[in-house]
Amino acid sequence: MIQILLRDKLDDCITRWHAAGYDVIGPQKNNNVTRFAPVEKASELDLEIILTDRTVKELFFPQTEPMFRYRIGKQAIDTEEYLPPGRKRIIFGSRPCDASAMAIDDPLFGWDFKDTYWFQRRNETVMVTIACTESDDFCMCTSLKLAPDSPLGSDIMLRPVAGGKGWHVELLSERGREAFDRIEALLDDSAAEKEPIANVPKRFDLDVCREWLADPENFESHFWKEISIRCIGCGTCTFLCPTCHCFDFQDEGDTYSGIRRKNWDSCSFALFTMHTSGHNPRSTQSSRWRQRIMHKFNYFPGKFSMNSCSGCGRCSRQCPVDMGITETLQEITKTAK
Amino acid sequence: MNEQFEPKIVAFVCTYCTYAGADLAGTSRLKYPPNVRIVRLPCTGRISPMFILKALQKGADGVLVSGCHPGDCHFTSGNFHARRRWTVFRALLNFTGIPLDRIRFSWISAAEGVKFAELISSLTDDIRKLGPFEQYKAMIHETETPVSL
Amino acid sequence: MSIQEQYRKKAAELLSSGEVKLVIGYGAGTTPDRRRPLFVRSADETSKLHLDAACEANLSGYLVTEGLLADRKKVGIFLGPEGIRSVNILASESQLDPDQIVIMGFNREAESVSALEGSNVRDFPAMLAALKEQAPGAGEQALVERIENMTPEERFTFWQAEFEKCIKCYACRQVCPMCYCRRCIVDNNQPQWVQTSSHTLGNFEWNLVRAFHLSGRCVECGGCDRACPVNIPLRLINRRMAMEVLDAYDHFSGMSPDQETVLASFKKDDPETFIL
Repeated sequence: MIQILLRDKLDDCITRWHAAGYDVIGPQKNNNVTRFAPVEKASELDLEIILTDRTVKELFFPQTEPMFRYRIGKQAIDTEEYLPPGRKRIIFGSRPCDASAMAIDDPLFGWDFKDTYWFQRRNETVMVTIACTESDDFCMCTSLKLAPDSPLGSDIMLRPVAGGKGWHVELLSERGREAFDRIEALLDDSAAEKEPIANVPKRFDLDVCREWLADPENFESHFWKEISIRCIGCGTCTFLCPTCHCFDFQDEGDTYSGIRRKNWDSCSFALFTMHTSGHNPRSTQSSRWRQRIMHKFNYFPGKFSMNSCSGCGRCSRQCPVDMGITETLQEITKTAK
Repeated sequence: MNEQFEPKIVAFVCTYCTYAGADLAGTSRLKYPPNVRIVRLPCTGRISPMFILKALQKGADGVLVSGCHPGDCHFTSGNFHARRRWTVFRALLNFTGIPLDRIRFSWISAAEGVKFAELISSLTDDIRKLGPFEQYKAMIHETETPVSL
Repeated sequence: MSIQEQYRKKAAELLSSGEVKLVIGYGAGTTPDRRRPLFVRSADETSKLHLDAACEANLSGYLVTEGLLADRKKVGIFLGPEGIRSVNILASESQLDPDQIVIMGFNREAESVSALEGSNVRDFPAMLAALKEQAPGAGEQALVERIENMTPEERFTFWQAEFEKCIKCYACRQVCPMCYCRRCIVDNNQPQWVQTSSHTLGNFEWNLVRAFHLSGRCVECGGCDRACPVNIPLRLINRRMAMEVLDAYDHFSGMSPDQETVLASFKKDDPETFIL
């Protein structure tokens, strides 16, 4: 028999999770933007959103985070560390693309140096993902060989039952089981039918693209200039990308005291690669866009055997000039064939 | 609060008029509160609105910007340019909720030592009554606290 | 003939006669309701050009792309009234030679577009004068007034909540035709005026600086507002600043390529009500 979590029991679930020491975080619409934020009641959740404007990335890798405070004295340098809050939490209602993206970034944040800020939060978090039964014109998970119900990165997968009254519960990890043990009494046995998952069309041929990108001949191709000619060089696509992970260090303060912060950075910015001398190895926007695509579909998979893209489509959805990964890879698919 | 709140005020002044006016206040032994930190600049035309933001960023409770009377600028027109900038910047500050009582502008000539001393006294009094700029200080405090999630 | 057909034909003529080297217009977007900037270099590509009420972007920012106009050749461009004003400002700030720009002007109405007569920025004085007299969008004006009627504390709280959302992607800056600085003030770090971190304080500072630098230059094309991925109502600040320069200095930006910039000019009897 399959277990079902009914929507009207969500309030009780949240109460029990809170009692067990979990923070509960879910998608909400606040002040004209949809993002993940802590919830007290189920009514604060907006689970109908296909995909939030902002990703779950910021719950693991905040846009700006203080790392330590420094004070330079005559004899010694004092430092005081800032650490993540260290609380168990449940992210309820992430989407498979966002959850996969976190798993995609794990090897990146751990291959040589284990990033405490990332892994402490990863280890404290239970990802309760809801499989998608709807998609929009920009969703492209299937093109990335993922799916609207990919288990990658999730601890629990919830699959909506027909009629929208609740979800089939699928336990995927020990951490997920532990969180759901707390609400076991609230789950019902049921034979209700699952709603079919969203039908996301395949928008490009990933293998063809990967092969084309791996060919050194294409690095200097005129293609890059053409495809990125209208790129205005903002950081929207990178900051809203769940897998984009570049960061910058900034010391805020003065020579003698201040705070070192870790901030999001973007390869779209000219300043990203600017040398102190004034020379910029990526001096044109086309070379920056090429870098972004190459990184995601050539360099990253070369190192970690995974594409650095989970197909959420935010880059295209939110681009001020209607560019994005989808268009580029579609054009590469056409060019290569 | 047991102790009386002492506001921190930053004054950006031009060297030819207001700074000389402040100097006159001093040499005339006029009394004014020690709450003001004076930053001397060549001309009000050199006083970028960035300075005001920087003062607030560093925890000022009030800002004074002051220079030569219109027509008296050492560089002929620096203060005319400054006046337009102040007008527009002040409207922006007002619209975003930075109380205008905290950001003041004045013309003080080299002969107006008394005006300088009186202005600083009344400004300090006013800002002392307003209290610390709590809303801005809360934002500064946020930069020193760990992220909540 | 629809204006779209008319301008496709005109673009083809301009390109095939060699009068312009490039036409910047709108092409079909990912979804039927979207239009994207399109760069057309040959007459046979002009059939890809679109022009309808969905063409919202102000394309004039592309004109100051580094090196584009350096060869003294002309460029054709689709521009709405705001775009024409932007070109005027860019010309008055010596960023381009207005005679290198061949304008295919259009006016956007609710569901359709109509052609604007003229092809040089100097051809539209009547249209611009009428625009200056026109009352601005009622919806925005009402919101601006609502904010003005708040107490300073409430206003601060309102904007704090908006700027807290900012992720400093700088889409507002990049999309803006007026933000052409080779190096933006926030990208300078000696001194570091504005904190680059996107905590609320840094965001607040950035948004104030952006709004101030656009005061008297913004044409209210709404590009920043549409580009903002977290939907900060930037148009309200821009509206307020436009009101200020109009009230104080009777300045309506982008009236002509010879217009003086409001913050780089002055009158000896400029109003001053607040200076002690």
